[in-house]
Amino acid sequence: MATKEYSFELKSHLDELDQLCQNLETFGKKFGLSKKLIFEINLALDELFTNIISYGFKDNQEHTIKVTLRPQNDELCLCIEDDGKPFNPIDFETPNVSCSVEECKIGGLGIHIMKKLMDEVCYERCGDKNVLNLKKKIETDDND
Amino acid sequence: MEIIEEKQGGINIFKLNGRLDSNTSQGFEQKLFQAISDGSKSLVVDFKDLDYISSAGLRVILKATKAIKREDGRIMLCSMQDYVKEVFEIAGFDSFLPIVATMDDAIKSF
Repeated sequence: MATKEYSFELKSHLDELDQLCQNLETFGKKFGLSKKLIFEINLALDELFTNIISYGFKDNQEHTIKVTLRPQNDELCLCIEDDGKPFNPIDFETPNVSCSVEECKIGGLGIHIMKKLMDEVCYERCGDKNVLNLKKKIETDDND
Repeated sequence: MEIIEEKQGGINIFKLNGRLDSNTSQGFEQKLFQAISDGSKSLVVDFKDLDYISSAGLRVILKATKAIKREDGRIMLCSMQDYVKEVFEIAGFDSFLPIVATMDDAIKSF
């Protein structure tokens, strides 16, 4: 079987979220993935991307964030690479999500959502890069 | 994202269409807080045509909920697509935010 890899690059601006969405829709159509799966990987990558842009870079220069998607058997492998400061989301403290409205804090929620949506999260620091490998099971009982 | 604002009786209704993310959440926040500072105590957010929400969108809903509670008002959320609702559930927000099935249910609750 031919390699079914799809990759694209995003610049370090929040408005690149639209590019992320468009790329994922193209990818989803090409590989016949369900709307729900595309929604979930879009959300996980959005949270990571927004986090990298908000906290990852100390300078004001433009950086590139690389995203690679690879369907593999019944899994979807995602890889996101950036040259920001080291950040391992696995170590990130999970916020208390069973609190009242007054106690509820929003910090860390994006990373919590990303971890919940993905089946596997693996972090590596390679030279000056953060390399995050994610896996998501492809459910075949979707009917859209 | 398109935001359609309507008023029914004393209720301010916000119909969201499109994607609520880090790019669009600020505009929505401004509109919600404008209504609160204008004295509205009853808000409804209609999610029927909302295709996407991220934690930036949740943050705005949480902030507005806290703000309107301080004014003794209430916010109701209605007509969410399943996968949008799932994001609220993952975040644990479904435990303290009133999420109802239809616009009718939301309006009747006031």
